[in-house]
Amino acid sequence: MGKTWASRLIIFTTLLFLIGPFFIIIFAGLSAGSSLSFPPQGLSLKWYLAVFEVESFRQSFTLSMFLAVCGTLCALIIGVPAAYAICRYKIPGAETIKLIVAAPIIVPGIIVGLALLRYLVVPLNFTVTLALFLAHTALVLPYAVRVVSASLENLRTDIEEAAVLLGCTRLQAFSKVVLPNIRSGILAAFILGFVTSFNQVPVSLFLSGPGVRTLPIDMLDYMEITYDPSVAALSALLAFLSMGIVFIAEKTLGFSRYV
Amino acid sequence: MSDTAVSLQNLTLAYGETVAVPSLNLDIHKGELVALLGPSGCGKTTTMRAIAGLMTPRSGTIMIDGVDVTKVSANKRGVGLVFQSYALFPHLSGFENVAFGLRLKRTPAAVITQKVEAGLELVGLSHLAERMPAELSGGQQQRLSLARSLVMEPKVLLLDEPLSNLDARLRLEMRTELQTLQRQTGITMVFVTHDQAEALALADRIVLMKDGVIEQTGTPEDLYNRPNTVFAADFVGFENIFKVSGNTASNSMVIASDTGELNLNYRSDASHLAWRPEGVIIGSGPHAGVVAGVAFAGNKREYVITTDAGKIRADVDASESAVQIGETVSFELPESSARPLREAL
Amino acid sequence: MVLPAAVFTAALFLLPVGILLSEGFKVGGEWTLAGYADFFSKPLNRTVFFRTLKLGLLVALVSAIVGYASAFCIVNLEPKQRGRIFGLVILPLMISPVARTYAWIVILGRTGIVNDAIVGLGLSDTPIRFLFTETAVFLGLLQLFMPLMIISLISSMENLPKDVIPAARVLGASWLQVFTRVILPLTREGLVLGGTLVFTGALTAYITPAILGGSKVLMLETLLYQKVNVSNDFVSAGIIATILIVMCFGANVVLRRIAKA
Ligand SMILES: Nc1ncnc2c1ncn2[C@@H]1O[C@H](COP(=O)(O)OP(=O)(O)OP(=O)(O)O)[C@@H](O)[C@H]1O
Ligand SMILES: [Mg+2]
Repeated sequence: MGKTWASRLIIFTTLLFLIGPFFIIIFAGLSAGSSLSFPPQGLSLKWYLAVFEVESFRQSFTLSMFLAVCGTLCALIIGVPAAYAICRYKIPGAETIKLIVAAPIIVPGIIVGLALLRYLVVPLNFTVTLALFLAHTALVLPYAVRVVSASLENLRTDIEEAAVLLGCTRLQAFSKVVLPNIRSGILAAFILGFVTSFNQVPVSLFLSGPGVRTLPIDMLDYMEITYDPSVAALSALLAFLSMGIVFIAEKTLGFSRYV
Repeated sequence: MSDTAVSLQNLTLAYGETVAVPSLNLDIHKGELVALLGPSGCGKTTTMRAIAGLMTPRSGTIMIDGVDVTKVSANKRGVGLVFQSYALFPHLSGFENVAFGLRLKRTPAAVITQKVEAGLELVGLSHLAERMPAELSGGQQQRLSLARSLVMEPKVLLLDEPLSNLDARLRLEMRTELQTLQRQTGITMVFVTHDQAEALALADRIVLMKDGVIEQTGTPEDLYNRPNTVFAADFVGFENIFKVSGNTASNSMVIASDTGELNLNYRSDASHLAWRPEGVIIGSGPHAGVVAGVAFAGNKREYVITTDAGKIRADVDASESAVQIGETVSFELPESSARPLREAL
Repeated sequence: MVLPAAVFTAALFLLPVGILLSEGFKVGGEWTLAGYADFFSKPLNRTVFFRTLKLGLLVALVSAIVGYASAFCIVNLEPKQRGRIFGLVILPLMISPVARTYAWIVILGRTGIVNDAIVGLGLSDTPIRFLFTETAVFLGLLQLFMPLMIISLISSMENLPKDVIPAARVLGASWLQVFTRVILPLTREGLVLGGTLVFTGALTAYITPAILGGSKVLMLETLLYQKVNVSNDFVSAGIIATILIVMCFGANVVLRRIAKA
């Protein structure tokens, strides 16, 4: 069948273009030499190990982790009730509210970062870390609302009424019946938020101070100074981390439906 | 008063500006099995939701066991509701679904186990207690939902189209089961349906609704044989309904449809007259018509006859020989099987 | 219940951004459009503006063409395989754009694969400069955003009524006609959604132009960064921000309207 061959070829070429570069990164990081090249000059794990020795990487990794975990949690804490209210009650101005909450996706991150720096950090004396935290929360919030809304839409409303008729208060009905049934949506929102926040660059670009930099920004800075394969190694490690998370999420939650 | 389980007084229910039910009055007696019957959109679900407390009435009173519960919230009313969609909790097993309400009441664990098992036994699901709702068939889900409401020992159990999601055979089966269950437990039940056969088969009393208003209430026999209005007659299978257009001589009158008239040799004071298909006599009589259609239905033949007053439906015993399409037959609309009707309430 | 979310976003997000945007309209404390006139009178700014627009459109266009081809092939796979390939398509979205862009340095750099091959094959004596060209930025952006297009095309193709394509074939349509008369109109919404995502993504990408374009191939985002960090020019920053937001919102609103029409 010529047709299946052609279609395989198209898919293969596209995937090669999309994913091929990672393999190159992985191998470039395995270089035994001291400059970036492909194919690598000899194989060794030294750059993969070297990554862990760089103090600033460790610091910025910790910060990025903190932002991704806490920012996403915070976004869920305010996002889940919002999603619930939007889905269940005909609140006046729901469209406007949805638009406001979705704004951080549409407005370019670099502008957000700059705006926060100029009007929160500088005049109000917010610490950079706090500004980063707020910015990442705002950035993740739309994803949280959207993903949780999607799983709420799929949940019948009458089970809440059934719970109330069996003696629940509205709040109990939410915690005993709604929450357990949107658990996987919330988890998916968490993962999506985590990954988005962790990989975020533009928002954090201006929001950096002495010793306070997110990991991707730190990598960018590092690349400007040195050209050794450690950034390749770190990139590969991060790629593995994301892939691992997404793979597990896909197996357990069918994650791709929420993206 | 004491034998009234539910009493609705001047109940007005509205969604925003749309009034779905204007001023409803209805008493349901203890231990009664009442069918709320009516066409789609007539306010059956709305009424049920109001009784259960899921909807606040615009005005009027709801009494349960003689107590005014109009302002009591749904979780304290002690009313059970079986949803059309069953509304089982997808994350809980069958057992836990049934135990849900009891756990909220902080019932001792031993009592819960015993009650839930008894409840599951009653609906014949003991062996499937550990299954999740998604792993049960439609009929099993329906019974689980029933058990979940029953173990709460509600003062009244409401069922919203409990059988409509089932296939024809299962529906017949569940019909009997529901009836047996009601007899066993003696619980007051109100169920919604828009299937007149179901209402006739199951109910002690039928409440026929139209546009939020009760058109007629009565036993199945009452309603089947003695509908009072054109709407009620149409709903319970009087297929030939004519307007009495005028009395001519001392002992005859004219009935009319949109297309024409027929002269009958007796008179009536009613505004309309109606005949069931089996009440029409074919093969003899003062009128003539042309057979437009005939269908064999086992024990009978179903005719459609074109007459001066439009189409008439008639059922004839299948043992009599068939009249072919296009042939002319004589027929009669006898006084004995005519049901006098009012135009409306 | 929505209040916390709305207030949070409005206070921490819309307000500061709003103030920032307003700076572009203020020169020397007065409300004026002079800043804009000034901004566009500089050739560099104009070049960057048109380059950004051009790259955005080009990336969206090429993603659409490649996207249709591969989405069509992927949709026609058997379900199990389709799921796996779909996973591979969304995988890049989950990986740090820094890592994704970095790979192109290895590929296109002076000692990268492409140059090794060119020199090795004797096509050129000296390595050719690929980095810091529009081509490099284009490739980087394409790789970054094409998955979004493929995903939205796949999901709208999955919603195609069954058998419409064979039906059109039987009625005598050529493959080109099948595409223009059946597939294209029926997947328009997916195309528009994907196009919006890719276009706005490309407009507002920072890392790719920063790494692969540097200061030789500036785009609006990198220009904005320069204005702030190098010349402390907040009027220009406000203007660029406004332009970016207007283009993004414009793309969102206009395209969505087209999709619904
Ligand atoms: N949420 C709502 N908002 C506005 N109007 C409603 C709402 N629910 C029902 N209605 C209207 O109220 C009237 C009664 O509706 P109801 O659901 O009680 O009908 P029903 O008798 O249960 O019909 P069915 O047999 O189709 O279930 C209908 O005219 C319907 O359009
Ligand atoms: Mg209903």
